[in-house]
Amino acid sequence: MFKRLLIGAIVLMVLGFGGFLAFAWRPEIAASQPPAPSSFDPALVARGEILAGAGYCSECHTPKGGRPYSGSRPMVTDFGTIYATNITPDPETGIGKWSEEAFRRALWTGVRRDGAHLLPAFPFDHLTKLSTEDVAALYAYFMTREPVHSVTPENTIPFPLNIRLFQAGWKLLFFTPGRFEPRADKSAEWNRGAYLAEGISHCGACHTPRNLLGAEKASATYGGAFIDNWVAPPLDKSNPSPVPWSRDELYTYLRTGISRYHGSASGPMAPVVHAGLNVVSDADVRAIATYFADVDESAPRAAEEKAAIDHALAADKRGVGPDNDPAAKLYTAACASCHYNGGEINVLRPDLALNSAVNLEDPTNLIRIILFGIDAKEGAPDIVMPAFAHGFSDEDVAQIAAYLRATRTDHPPWQGLVEKVAAIRAQGKTEE
Amino acid sequence: MASLHRLQKAAREAAGSALSRRGFLAGMVGTSAAFGFSRMADAAMDPATANGVPPKPVGALYEPSLWYSIDSAGNVTVNIIRAEMGQHVGTALARILADELETDWNKVNIVHVDTDQKWGLMVTGGSWSVSQTWTLFSQAGAAGRIALIEAGAKLLDADPQSCIARHGQVVAGEKSITFGEIIGKKAVTRHFSPEEIDKLPLKPVAERRLVGKPVTALDVPTKTNGEALYGIDAHVAGMLHARPKIPPTRYGSKVVSVDDSAARKIKGYLRSLVIEDPSNTVPGWVMVIGDSTFAAMRAADLVKVTWEAGPTANVSEKDVQDHASALIDKPEGGVLLDVGGPKGRDVAKAAFAAADFVLEQTYTTATVLHFQLEPMNALAFEKDGIFEIHTGNQWQSLILPVLAKALDRPQESIVLRSYMLGGGFGRRLNGDYIVPAALAAKALGRPVKLLLTRHDDVLFDSVRSSSVQKIRMAFDSGNKIIGMEHHAAAGWPTEVMAPAFMPKGQDDKPFDPFAIAGADHWYDVGPQLVRAISNDLANATFRPGWLRSVGPGWINWALESFMDEAAFHAKMDPVALRLKLLSGKGQNENAGQAPKAVGGALRQAEVLRRVAQRAGWGSPLPPDTGLGIATTFGQEREMPTWIACAARVHVDRTTGKVRVEKLTIITDAGTIVDPDGAKAQTEGGALWGLSMALNEGTEFEKGQVRDTNLDSYTPLRIDETPELDVSFVDSAEFPVGLGEPATTVVAPAIGNAIFAAVGVRLRHLPITPQAVLAGLKAVG
Amino acid sequence: MTSFTINDRSVTVDVEEDTPLLWVIRDEIGLTGTKFGCGIGMCGVCTVHVGGRPTRSCITPVRAVEGAKITTIEGLAATAAHAVQKAWIDLQVPQCGYCQPGQIMQAAALIRDFPSPTDEDIDAVMSGNLCRCMTYVRIRAAIKQAAAALRGEVTNG
Repeated sequence: MFKRLLIGAIVLMVLGFGGFLAFAWRPEIAASQPPAPSSFDPALVARGEILAGAGYCSECHTPKGGRPYSGSRPMVTDFGTIYATNITPDPETGIGKWSEEAFRRALWTGVRRDGAHLLPAFPFDHLTKLSTEDVAALYAYFMTREPVHSVTPENTIPFPLNIRLFQAGWKLLFFTPGRFEPRADKSAEWNRGAYLAEGISHCGACHTPRNLLGAEKASATYGGAFIDNWVAPPLDKSNPSPVPWSRDELYTYLRTGISRYHGSASGPMAPVVHAGLNVVSDADVRAIATYFADVDESAPRAAEEKAAIDHALAADKRGVGPDNDPAAKLYTAACASCHYNGGEINVLRPDLALNSAVNLEDPTNLIRIILFGIDAKEGAPDIVMPAFAHGFSDEDVAQIAAYLRATRTDHPPWQGLVEKVAAIRAQGKTEE
Repeated sequence: MASLHRLQKAAREAAGSALSRRGFLAGMVGTSAAFGFSRMADAAMDPATANGVPPKPVGALYEPSLWYSIDSAGNVTVNIIRAEMGQHVGTALARILADELETDWNKVNIVHVDTDQKWGLMVTGGSWSVSQTWTLFSQAGAAGRIALIEAGAKLLDADPQSCIARHGQVVAGEKSITFGEIIGKKAVTRHFSPEEIDKLPLKPVAERRLVGKPVTALDVPTKTNGEALYGIDAHVAGMLHARPKIPPTRYGSKVVSVDDSAARKIKGYLRSLVIEDPSNTVPGWVMVIGDSTFAAMRAADLVKVTWEAGPTANVSEKDVQDHASALIDKPEGGVLLDVGGPKGRDVAKAAFAAADFVLEQTYTTATVLHFQLEPMNALAFEKDGIFEIHTGNQWQSLILPVLAKALDRPQESIVLRSYMLGGGFGRRLNGDYIVPAALAAKALGRPVKLLLTRHDDVLFDSVRSSSVQKIRMAFDSGNKIIGMEHHAAAGWPTEVMAPAFMPKGQDDKPFDPFAIAGADHWYDVGPQLVRAISNDLANATFRPGWLRSVGPGWINWALESFMDEAAFHAKMDPVALRLKLLSGKGQNENAGQAPKAVGGALRQAEVLRRVAQRAGWGSPLPPDTGLGIATTFGQEREMPTWIACAARVHVDRTTGKVRVEKLTIITDAGTIVDPDGAKAQTEGGALWGLSMALNEGTEFEKGQVRDTNLDSYTPLRIDETPELDVSFVDSAEFPVGLGEPATTVVAPAIGNAIFAAVGVRLRHLPITPQAVLAGLKAVG
Repeated sequence: MTSFTINDRSVTVDVEEDTPLLWVIRDEIGLTGTKFGCGIGMCGVCTVHVGGRPTRSCITPVRAVEGAKITTIEGLAATAAHAVQKAWIDLQVPQCGYCQPGQIMQAAALIRDFPSPTDEDIDAVMSGNLCRCMTYVRIRAAIKQAAAALRGEVTNG
């Protein structure tokens, strides 16, 4: 993704330089004394905490095993590493000197207190939809965190790609600032869900494909995308899961980390559920589910559910019993003990015919899960899927993936599986 | 062929021991301190206790013989020299003794003893344990009973003739005294000479109270709660962990260089040790040493060893099999068995010359892995002048001299402790895995625990050799069988690992009974040539192993498939033909001999007749479904276990898949000591036979086996397990073996059933769907 | 450092985070009832429960069980699953016994998911557990007996 941003930056360099400078320049907002934590209304702080969860801010801003929001978490790209910043109220290394106005400008327009443009790795294109009150709540929350003195390392993006001024051009092309506007033809719950999903939770940042210049394609909102070595599945009706994502299943998935008809929240989605949305109220999670159930048009497709489940349960019985197909034998010995369901889908025995990973156009997620498993803190909480990377050859994993694709779905076979497995194995379990 | 007897005799000679295993009735009464073993106080494993430590004896102790002791609470501890690997052997043997002793079964403990010369030959295999121990333990128990009755009578002031022993008590009318009380009073005085013991009569069948009755095996509870201790669980303070780098060839590989630079980043990796092995058991081994199991495992992945490979580095399965075929085609090679009647290579020549028709077929089997679930392991260390080996092993007497040579120390200063075996199946008859552990411990001066990963374990397996067999049969114009030849070539485990134990065939030439037994069958076929051929290329490429049933597993595949082919040629019913040939007559002493082979071929005919009836032989079956039958005498003519199997299979004509629906098995093993154990052994043996028929088989590629783990080696699992109908002939004859015979009949029964179902005759194991499809195509 | 509970005991272990749970249980914690068979998750002898689900510990990195609840064969008897062990003894299922801790852990979980298991259920769920002694006939019978006992039905085995 970042690679595209950089290409965009270079393209913009050829645009008129002088006028551009004038256009791109932003003033510094004066440093202010850090407000005393006691100056904030505790109710506002509490609201901010929930919003920070809904935005899973810690996923980028808290280093692994480090102090909350102290930054320095690396985001590795082909062109260098970007480090998330320290957003504790430390005056020297954090945002202690930021006034609420500076904080709001950063969220709404992607501009730092000193006037420099922020890279769109920071999702200001979504945060711009936040209400003034919610920004205030977030400000109250972060300014009442424990200050941590931690200098964020310099990004290792080489010159001239590191000139932040050029981001202004990107914004000109792709960024529309402005608050969320409710739709009168939708329910209050829907609007609440849309506000969260499009704003603080920035779902599209992962689930919407990006154009060559790294901006979300407005024409393909929620159409699914590659992100951090995973596939973020489509959230619209192009999602290939046999059972449409209904409001109830989405709610269960976002609340528990697993859906009986789709599988578990793995990879980058795991912390969204378990280290983010877990602090959000049931009503808000339900609102998000309501919004996406409408986005993927699941209600008119509800009739597909029974046929899909019947198909899955029939496929479930394959491979068990005398079968000299080596792939069937692998599946029976390695997979069936946990994934077989008999006559009824059990959420803790994730059905593989219904599972997103088996039905996606790209096998990446399935291969990743077979190789590296699912930790207890991911997916359904406190249970694990073991990691077959050490014992299984690339051919073994490819065989199982191909077998599942062929016996559990009506989709065309995946191509180049062995090479794909080898490549993913080389990447390793990248998420922390 | 007298393999068993020779084995015992040779072992006694090898051990240099003049001790009679029946002797030792010292009538010794001591205190608790007298119990146990001089060298190691804890040197015996009780499989019924959580930590393997036997319960402490109470008060004075009476040791009527080498084989057991009774304490003052009446607890009987029976010494078991056999390895426990799933047969519940201690329970079976102890109850033979306890039955004659008339003790209370609830007070019987068993201990699996450490090695000592006094035990004589320590080997667990060949399905021999019960059969070999039957008389010994019966008489040992009887002697104890007689001594206790005499002492008890005195204490009760009764006439010994009027006393009986029951449930651990001596009873005289209304009066009684427990065994424990008698021993507590140190009242036993009776001594028996070995000659007297030999003459002790055994109880009449009607008086048996434990033999043949249901009893829960003493080792079962700890095998359900994680307490059972296997070699892999052995532990001693300060031990280091080792995983080997296995060289590219079994023999002749030399280490050129070791590069452990990548391994050094593994936390806990210590060093890599090139093994110098004076016994040449593990040439070219490098041991990767770590301070934990996983450190050694992970480091070994990263240690790079360069070898100069031995001469078999490029041998393939086809090379081995082609070599076997070439050996069969040389009539002057191999060893002829003495099967009674005239001898010599031309014994059947006249019959074949006169034959109206000669049926000739060749049968082959692929390499098979033991794949016992507990990978090879051993813990070795020197302590107080004794080299202790903690592991599970099936043939301690075989490996001890090898260890003595490897370690350059007297055999008497090496002791093997007995742990449970996580599967034997013959793999642990070959104790080669102990050698590198002991050598590493010696070199490092620290306890070393060796554990092979599955991949290592398979590369180091003593596989079941692939085999080629040619069988010929001469028919006269009336389709009467007038002569037979059986030529079998395979790797010879006994030649490679225990050559001194090979019996002699014709011309005084040694042969491996475990690679030919079965060909000396009980069918009356006229002049008979049985030729066993050692495949020297197999022997050089790998260490051929004894694998559950060994030779009879492939010999009977050929023989019993061939008997059906013979019946087909003769237009006879396969059961009827066999029954006709199992006449109890013929030059091969088919009438049988006492004690173990009483009845001879007629008993084999009986199990065949019964299985045919029980399985519904001749009844109509659904399409593409067939019933196949096979019968054998199990392991060896001296100890025949008469067995017959009927397999019902269904063949899918589109995919070639064979589904075994049911196996019906009837066994005559003489007296059954442990009915449930006998059934369990037969169930397991039969499913091994099925697994080797349809599921298992690998190939040598570049000097090593191709399939080294379960992703490509596919033994039978529960979803492929057919219905089993296992039953026994009610018999009071001498008990024989049960661990292996069922393995020998299943593959040919399946092959014959496939022929019955779809008319396709298969002559290679394992049977694959591809072979079935090719056969279907050929028959149209 | 990884922390989790095992048989209701809290433990913290200091091992490389990719160390398989199996070796942590056997070597660090000292519970040896859980066995090592194939090392690639295809024989089932290393099966333990993680969060109540049967899990092949030989291919589960210890990192993955941070914060989880683990039960091994040694801790199973404390749960209702002891009915499985009882059935195993009644029918004398074990031969060499090496795979049986894994079989029992798998079977206990099977009965929880399928209180009245069919042959098909048993085939599918138990096929990941290899028994080299081939005690499959008895494993099947014992599962049915244990399931009946747990359903409160009387069975004569």
